[in-house]
Amino acid sequence: MVWRVVIFGSSLFFYGWWNWRFIILLLWAIGSNWLAGNNIHRCRLSGAQDGVRAWTSVAIASDLTLLGVFKYYDFFAVELSNLLGMGSALPLLELTLPVGISFFTFQAMSYVIDLRRGVVQPMKLLDFAVYLSFFPQLVAGPIVRASEMAPQISTRPDPRQVASGEAFHLILRGLFKKVVISSWLGSNLVDGVFADPQGHSSLDALFGVYGYAIQIYADFSGYTDIAIGCALLLGFRFPVNFDRPYGALSLRDFWRRWHITLSSWLRDYLYIPLGGNRGRTADMYRNVLITMLLGGLWHGSTWNFVVWGAIHGAALIVERSLPTGRLHPIIRWALTFHVVCFAWIFFRAESVSGAWDLVSVIAGFSADTQRLNAGVVLVVVAAIAVQFVTKSASARLVHWISRWPAMVHGIAFGIGLVAIDMMGPEGIAPFIYFQF
Amino acid sequence: MEKMTKTEADSKRDPTATNQGAPAGEVLLAGLVGLLIAIFLNSSVLLTDAKRLPDGSGRSIALAVWNPIESAGSFLGLTWPRAAGDRLLGRSEPEQPIALVRKPIETYTGSEKEEPVVLGVENEQDLKDRPKETLPESPTAQWTVDRPFELWVIGDSMVQFFGDILVSLAETSNSVEATSEPVLASGLSRPDYFDWPTRIAEIMTKHDPDAVVVIFGGNDAQNIKSADGTWLARFEDSWLDEYRRRIGTVMDLVTSDRNRILLWVAQPPMRRQGFDERMQLLNNLYRAEAADRERVQYVDLRGLFTDSSGEYARYLPDDEGKLVDVRLTDGVHLSHWGGEWLSALLLQELRKSPKIDQLWNR
Repeated sequence: MVWRVVIFGSSLFFYGWWNWRFIILLLWAIGSNWLAGNNIHRCRLSGAQDGVRAWTSVAIASDLTLLGVFKYYDFFAVELSNLLGMGSALPLLELTLPVGISFFTFQAMSYVIDLRRGVVQPMKLLDFAVYLSFFPQLVAGPIVRASEMAPQISTRPDPRQVASGEAFHLILRGLFKKVVISSWLGSNLVDGVFADPQGHSSLDALFGVYGYAIQIYADFSGYTDIAIGCALLLGFRFPVNFDRPYGALSLRDFWRRWHITLSSWLRDYLYIPLGGNRGRTADMYRNVLITMLLGGLWHGSTWNFVVWGAIHGAALIVERSLPTGRLHPIIRWALTFHVVCFAWIFFRAESVSGAWDLVSVIAGFSADTQRLNAGVVLVVVAAIAVQFVTKSASARLVHWISRWPAMVHGIAFGIGLVAIDMMGPEGIAPFIYFQF
Repeated sequence: MEKMTKTEADSKRDPTATNQGAPAGEVLLAGLVGLLIAIFLNSSVLLTDAKRLPDGSGRSIALAVWNPIESAGSFLGLTWPRAAGDRLLGRSEPEQPIALVRKPIETYTGSEKEEPVVLGVENEQDLKDRPKETLPESPTAQWTVDRPFELWVIGDSMVQFFGDILVSLAETSNSVEATSEPVLASGLSRPDYFDWPTRIAEIMTKHDPDAVVVIFGGNDAQNIKSADGTWLARFEDSWLDEYRRRIGTVMDLVTSDRNRILLWVAQPPMRRQGFDERMQLLNNLYRAEAADRERVQYVDLRGLFTDSSGEYARYLPDDEGKLVDVRLTDGVHLSHWGGEWLSALLLQELRKSPKIDQLWNR
């Protein structure tokens, strides 16, 4: 009991440190979903299917309202006003986006839907509060399912078995990715190229896009590593969120490796309920496209994310309709990587027109360079090469580190922190996924 | 059968675990030792960061904590690995001293100029000097590809959001070479964090630009340290005198040696009322100092970034009446579109000089 209270209190403090007012939102999400969840379970046991449906709808409507008001309202109001030529006829809220809202609302929705499906049992209020607010993953995931966390929260983690080697290794690895790789690529290559595409050659622009592909991977997977490492120190194990995504040989493969907890959420709670692979081919393609469009919109309320989702959806459809599996693996890898990079242009650019500017620069085939040097090329190539290191090799490294005494882990951790701080630039930009 | 052994429960719960765990107490101790090592090895950097904090209780506490730790770290020789690493990475090279040739700046005294030091927002229109309608002619009229018109855009994080756009816009003329140099969290209040006058003097000496665009203020509403080391409380008379002196120093550094043009960009309206009032107060100081100097043009942004009621707005209609988001969600910085609007305005200001205007008419 006490340790749950401590974790919940710490999580609220962590969240409130940024803006205490948004604690109310978090508490609302906890209270409303827990209450609805209990009612869903009760109705389910008594066979009241109408009640199950009604409570599920109430909970999901509440979660989507939170998202809608804080994340999407202004976008749709502006687009509607512009479409109708009404100026600013619709009132704009201009609200600050609460950090992590997309993550905790998706976790909450998965809980009530799983209760409806009978996949999980209702959690106690405090357990559910810990599940939804758990600070390592509260602001940028991974999106953990109740079925994964409930068993871990219901019993006290074993204090005799803390995976210190794996935890410290993950935290240092995540910090290195964020502070050194992501920040360095951002300030030395990516930011400049995306800010002024026309001022760069094709080669610079192309490497700017490659650089962004590495930057966003290092940034987001770095955060996930830190989150998983922190959770491990507290005795919790989160699911894997990234599995060397740029080693993928197809887009389907990519989505099994990139932001796995989101893609599996979209698969289980959106794609399959829409019909999934069942029915006619055209229905399946429609389901893929809807899922990817909404997945794009999940990232933010701009057309850029919609286009990003559309590119992935269209590419997945093309991939399914063509016999790409017969191609040589190197060609499949190159095609997949470049489609993903092409979509990243729209994800990163300030506007859709800005993205097309960059595309047109790349298509101009000019080879002079202002930005490229040995360091930039080395970082980009090495970061892609690392994607091909086998899982077993990584596991062996972790296993070897884990055999060290805990005190050696601590000392290595301290020295590693200083080394990372030394290598990083002054002033680190916030994690990219904090804005989602 | 109900009860599993502890080992069975563990393996069921964590089947993917690859390592042998250690007792929590041992791990906690190891983590603390690690943090302690990091603190001592990094103590000189942590102390430097503490010194850069805004004057106040937070800074005092940070200094009280890091000063003795840094002293102990230095005494034990624990700070040298970090210093050696920084040297290896070329991070600790002392700035080359620059021969500053600064025009002596008169210290402002309110009685001499018959002008209020700080004007309330409501008094803004009472300033005696209005922005110049056209910029004076620049002495060099013939800029070419080989001898381009040099434009520099400098300032705090605001520059990040329009500097590159202005550079791109200006360089649509092949006789223009533009450079954007933002330094995050910088300003005129804390030269101990980043010494803009020194950097500006360096730019003037090394690059000799024809025009300079400057924006400061977002980080400047804080106590500042005077030459004798005493802290001047924000917005008190002594603070205002010193801050105006620094504004004047920058303006004169840019414009005194040669007839350069300086566009001093005001802070845009801000979402939070208190912050907006502070920025308006600084704007009045910039406007007053610019009014005294022929080649300094104060560029007001209130008209550009307010709605029809004169209030801050994140979304504003563009030329076609379509709403676009011109500000970021932080209520402070400009969005990409806001950067485009500001860049267009600044280029328009530069083009008020007929000879400069020719650069884009060829």
